Amino acid sequence: MNNLRGNSMKKIAYIDDTAYEIEVGENALRFLQREMDQSQIPTLCDAPHLSPGGSCRLCSVELAKTKNGKRNVVASCHTYLQDGDHLYIHTDRIKRLRKNIVELILTDHPLDCETCHQNGTCQLQTVAATVGLEKVRYPEGKTHGNYQQDLSHPYLTADLSKCINCNMCVRACDEIQGEFILSMVGRGFDSRIIKGMDTVFKDSDCVSCGACVQVCPTAAISDIFAPLEKNADKKIRTVCTYCGVGCNLEVAVADERIIRISAPYEAEANQGHTCVKGRYAFQFYQHPDRLRHPMIRKNGELVPSTWDETYDYIIEKLGSIKSDYGPDAIAGISSARCTNEENYLMQKMMRAVIGTNNIDGCARICHAPTAAGMQRAFGTGAATNSIADIQHTNCILVVGANPTNAHPVTGAKIKQAAIQGKNLIVIDPRKTELARYANYHLALRPGTNVALLNMMLRFIVEEELIDQEFIQTRCEGFEEFKLKILNLDITELEKICGVDRKLVRAAAITYATASTAMSFHGLGVTEHSQGTFGVMLVANLALLTGNIGKPGSGVNPLRGQNNVQGAADMGVQPHQGPGYFDLSDPAQRAIYEDIYKVDMPDHPGLTIPKMFEAALTGQLKALWIMGEDVVQTEPNSDKVKAGLRKLDLLIVQELFLSATTPFAHVVLPAASFFEKNGTFTNGERRIQKVRQIIPPLQGVKSDGQIAVDIMNRMGYSQPDYNPEWVLDEIATIVPFFKGVSWERLGENGLQWPVMEDGSDSKILHKMAFTHGKGKIHFIDFKESPELIMHAKKFPYILTTNRSLEHYNSGSMTRRTNENLLVYEDILLVNKEDAQDKNLVDNDWVIISSPRGSTKIRIKVSDQVNPGIVSTTFHFPEILINKITSDVLDSEADCPEYKVVAVDLERIGFK
Amino acid sequence: MSNNLTNLLARKGIDNNLFERVQYEITSNGSLSSNSVKQLAEDYLIGKSNILGTASFYDFLKPKNFGKKAYVCSGTACLLAGKQDLVHSKLLDHFDQSEIGEICCLGRCHENAAFQHDLSNYSGTAIDQLAEIIDGTASFNNQDKYHQEAIIADPLLMSPITDLHDYYELLLSMQKKSKDELVHQVIESGLRGRGGAGYPIGLKMKACKQASGDRKYIVCNADEGDPGSYSDRFLLEQYPHAVLFGMLASGYISGATQGVLYIRAEYPETIKIIEKAVNEYYAIRKTLGLEFSFDFKIIEGAGSYVCGEETALLASIEGQRPEVRIRPPFPTDFGLYGKPTLVNNVETLANLHYILENGADAFSSIGKATSTGTKLICLDSFFKRPGVYEVPFGMPLQEVIRQIGRGFKIPVKALHIGGPLGGVIPSSAWDTLTLDFESFEMAGYSLGHASFISIPSTFPMIRYLEHLFAFTAHESCGKCFPCRLGSQRGMELLQKSQKEKEAISKVLFTDLLETLELGSLCGLGSGLPLPVRNILTHFSEELRPYFKNE
Repeated sequence: MNNLRGNSMKKIAYIDDTAYEIEVGENALRFLQREMDQSQIPTLCDAPHLSPGGSCRLCSVELAKTKNGKRNVVASCHTYLQDGDHLYIHTDRIKRLRKNIVELILTDHPLDCETCHQNGTCQLQTVAATVGLEKVRYPEGKTHGNYQQDLSHPYLTADLSKCINCNMCVRACDEIQGEFILSMVGRGFDSRIIKGMDTVFKDSDCVSCGACVQVCPTAAISDIFAPLEKNADKKIRTVCTYCGVGCNLEVAVADERIIRISAPYEAEANQGHTCVKGRYAFQFYQHPDRLRHPMIRKNGELVPSTWDETYDYIIEKLGSIKSDYGPDAIAGISSARCTNEENYLMQKMMRAVIGTNNIDGCARICHAPTAAGMQRAFGTGAATNSIADIQHTNCILVVGANPTNAHPVTGAKIKQAAIQGKNLIVIDPRKTELARYANYHLALRPGTNVALLNMMLRFIVEEELIDQEFIQTRCEGFEEFKLKILNLDITELEKICGVDRKLVRAAAITYATASTAMSFHGLGVTEHSQGTFGVMLVANLALLTGNIGKPGSGVNPLRGQNNVQGAADMGVQPHQGPGYFDLSDPAQRAIYEDIYKVDMPDHPGLTIPKMFEAALTGQLKALWIMGEDVVQTEPNSDKVKAGLRKLDLLIVQELFLSATTPFAHVVLPAASFFEKNGTFTNGERRIQKVRQIIPPLQGVKSDGQIAVDIMNRMGYSQPDYNPEWVLDEIATIVPFFKGVSWERLGENGLQWPVMEDGSDSKILHKMAFTHGKGKIHFIDFKESPELIMHAKKFPYILTTNRSLEHYNSGSMTRRTNENLLVYEDILLVNKEDAQDKNLVDNDWVIISSPRGSTKIRIKVSDQVNPGIVSTTFHFPEILINKITSDVLDSEADCPEYKVVAVDLERIGFK
Repeated sequence: MSNNLTNLLARKGIDNNLFERVQYEITSNGSLSSNSVKQLAEDYLIGKSNILGTASFYDFLKPKNFGKKAYVCSGTACLLAGKQDLVHSKLLDHFDQSEIGEICCLGRCHENAAFQHDLSNYSGTAIDQLAEIIDGTASFNNQDKYHQEAIIADPLLMSPITDLHDYYELLLSMQKKSKDELVHQVIESGLRGRGGAGYPIGLKMKACKQASGDRKYIVCNADEGDPGSYSDRFLLEQYPHAVLFGMLASGYISGATQGVLYIRAEYPETIKIIEKAVNEYYAIRKTLGLEFSFDFKIIEGAGSYVCGEETALLASIEGQRPEVRIRPPFPTDFGLYGKPTLVNNVETLANLHYILENGADAFSSIGKATSTGTKLICLDSFFKRPGVYEVPFGMPLQEVIRQIGRGFKIPVKALHIGGPLGGVIPSSAWDTLTLDFESFEMAGYSLGHASFISIPSTFPMIRYLEHLFAFTAHESCGKCFPCRLGSQRGMELLQKSQKEKEAISKVLFTDLLETLELGSLCGLGSGLPLPVRNILTHFSEELRPYFKNE
């Protein structure tokens, strides 16, 4: 008998005398799991994403070199087969061995299945049934039954009396998250799992990713959601909304409520892993604060209304503003948290129905400089490579990004790579988690990326570490660049950025001499007055060294929100529509006009910062904000508020009331991502299906349906919101979506460009750049106007960032148990500065800038250098954006959140 | 065992290894403070839990051993000799009960009554001079004396080294040969590992030589943990240069530049002798003109039998928990700090000088079948002439007992040869065996390390079985389920059968032994059933009251 797939080059092994092909490098357990029903080979220490454990020995089988040869018992998880090997998987000896091992396990496991929350989902229970264990014959002996439960943590729980010492939690913490919170202590029978300093979860340094929970075969390490899982009537796969990694989530549902979330192992984006937000921060969807009906401001109060009344109100108001002031008095802000289809409809509504290019999105305040800078260098504003390339690269450069907090699954992958010995260079003013593990941490003064990158570029050119052939065949502008870069004064640059030239040189050499090097950058590059220029210099590094168009290389922006890439692709920017066609160009504009059957506006609209300015000057009368809390998240909030107050119509489409809704005339209750279908495009251009898990809350509509309703009421007929038809329409316009359809996206999505035949692209610019040649630009450093104007009076530099536990304005995460983990923004202050200011941990300070001031608690930390302070912006009570600067990136209007001139004043302990 | 931890610990390297840092923190401060844990975790970029995981593994680093002033040897030979109570009671004249600990085998099996005080080992009649030992006025040298003899005209191991410089000059002539030729020589000699497993050393050496790595290690496994065995101690103390040479030669051949000697802490004097020998070699090296560099590092164990298992030993050096690691990868590909590593036992290494000097044939002509060369054996105190002997493989067992050991002082019903996992051979079978791997294996025994423990006729076999299980339960690393749980449950069954007269189900016990043997990850769990079955087979009558048929 055989069961071959017809590849004669493949090696063969036999399972119970039937032939199967062996894959290269797989162990016998993976081979058996692939070829047999999973339940055939019991195991209690194996997970698809972990290295083999070898602890439980339940996967043991008999192995013989020939059919009638001597049979040895081997654990299949660390046995590698050779051509012609014979495996016998259910002999009496093997059955007896498995049963006897399970019996031993149960001598030290409480027999309280009936009352255990894992009853029905317990792997140990399943395996015991599989091997046919009926009773435990050993007399009662020593056990671990007296261990205390750990219920200290908002999510994670532990009851180690149920632990079977499989070590999977330890391996998951180590091999997946790279955190080393868990370990076994003691030895032999007395060995047991500990957390951190042998403490409870809450007091350990645990990052609450839940990887340990996901692999625990019993109820030993679990979470607060586990007890309900057995009630689940279905599990639906969707995509996380909490960052650009695009983790796939498997959501268990019972009675239209979300029970629990886990990470599917077969998901290409996250391979069975996700973070504390993705796994646990879902309860916001049913929070009492959720908006459940539209509201219209009447006599200064927002009062509940019906959808019909609200729509009529909006249509009437928009109509009169449009007829009185023209369409450009109306603007829309779309949302990178919403689906591609919704973003597409939002821009379509603004452009084709209202008739203005005043459409922008929250990418403006994060990655607009990435889009601009990468378009200038490569012709396309998107990650050139894929996250999976981390495995193939030999050098990782992380610039201005803290992925272990903001993109935790990618962060963990980079950390793993660094631990495993890959070169890691971190350019960041803060000593981030990755910086701790990096070969080189270039802790520059905030705002000096251009100076520092120029130093690196200069060393690379000077030492002739450039890829001559690549530059000659694929790039332009090098000669001019070379002249200018060699003219720069290293001493001057060194002084500007405050990093030792030797360190910079060593890092530059490491990057340039690696056979492949890939960069990741975040908002530490973009949110600067020279943000776009910073991106272009990161691109220069890749161009000069030939690190484009091949595996393990490239320039890879870490997208902050889940659909930043998609929102831009869908035309959420004032100068380019879906697919990045330039609306001021008649030929390109015609592409839209052909499909939309209307005349399209031909001049670029307003970016978000310019919208507020236009509101202040009275040019802008109406603003429609879909899913953004501009008061909390835009810089210089007092100015934002002043602008909003001047509007005749502010429509806010939201899950909750926010810091912006007090200024709204209309509030529309929107559906959360659990309540609708659509697609998100992650940071590696992967278009993935977002699936409706539960119906929208009573009284709530999806953002897509709202756009459709308005368009219909304004006389532009559209079918009801449904991603299938919207995607089909997008595919007719956006060239890199040509082969995309809802059906084709499948389980793991497709990475654009997607060709007509449905094939997708893991790597961009393989043979040529979008606009032919890669462009190398010379950029000189310019000190931020913020510091030039205010550094004297405000001698510290504040740079803002994100915590692991909260997402952006925190509107969702603050309404979950995340708030029990982190409940305030904390200002990190260097020890020297703390001494100068007489500050100790938990002291309150007033932090002030030219825009205003706020109160915040401090923590003394070596994460920041002297003169630098840092905090997050998740809590409206602190509203740190009251003081941030509205200096904008010179090219893309992105605000400079990362360089704020501030001063501190101690208030004392409160 | 974690590859990530291996990589992170490798960043600091062998000279700043975590294991010694942890030992230092504990021995210098009496315990591991939370500040030390935090500092170590920060320095090595690993978890605090990892530091505690390592520290909590070893007997000597456990809090219960803090403040101990003296340790009584709990090894098998001392147990059987019946002197432990006496030693303990004499120690109580000077110390509190809480100040007296247990230590598993000081390797003084030739005269027993062994104990350790102030990092020195004593045995035999030394306990009678305890007061003088404590106040430092004892007149004797605590280095023990025992009979040492080669039962072969031209000894391979026991021939005196008269001139160290000459001895090491063999390296110069090796440099003139190709490394392939040298490996070939070792392979042809048929030298098999002397630590117990008997793996052909030449093949391991070849694998390590062929493995690619920017750095390679030679590790000498001097963690002679088998109770009853002291032949490695003999070599390390009497022929340290033979061991160092073996490491140097292995290093030269396989391209390793760093040697590590992992010596058990139970042998404090041995460590000093090796330190001295290393310095002697360093002095000679200056004038030797070698074309390769090779340094030695001595790592002191901290009380764990399983560290004698090679993967656990490597993890121990790195500062990880010394749990047994799955194979593949084998240490020759992925060993210390993830680099190709050759781990060999002391006696194995000590043979290399003879082979490389006299050629493979000279070596392989001694011995029997695939058991080439000689073997050191060590006889316990029940022999009339205890001591360490070098015998050619193939010698009849009765000759060893009658002529070399001169018979027994008291009636002996069985010999436990080759450590706790070796075979238990009843007196009726002594005529049938010769001292070599094949003879022992074919008869269902295991030669192991060839240490001889005599089980007196008066010693109850049920107690001996309990001792074997208790030893395994105490030393099990806990990684695999069968050994961690099975050794504990077996011990409990045997205890209950004695204390509570609860007869053990034969079916259950058979199942337990099969589970241990087939299921265990390393030789500790899988090796235990062999001596146990030997005893069950040959002493069934004596054990009948303790077992029941269902």
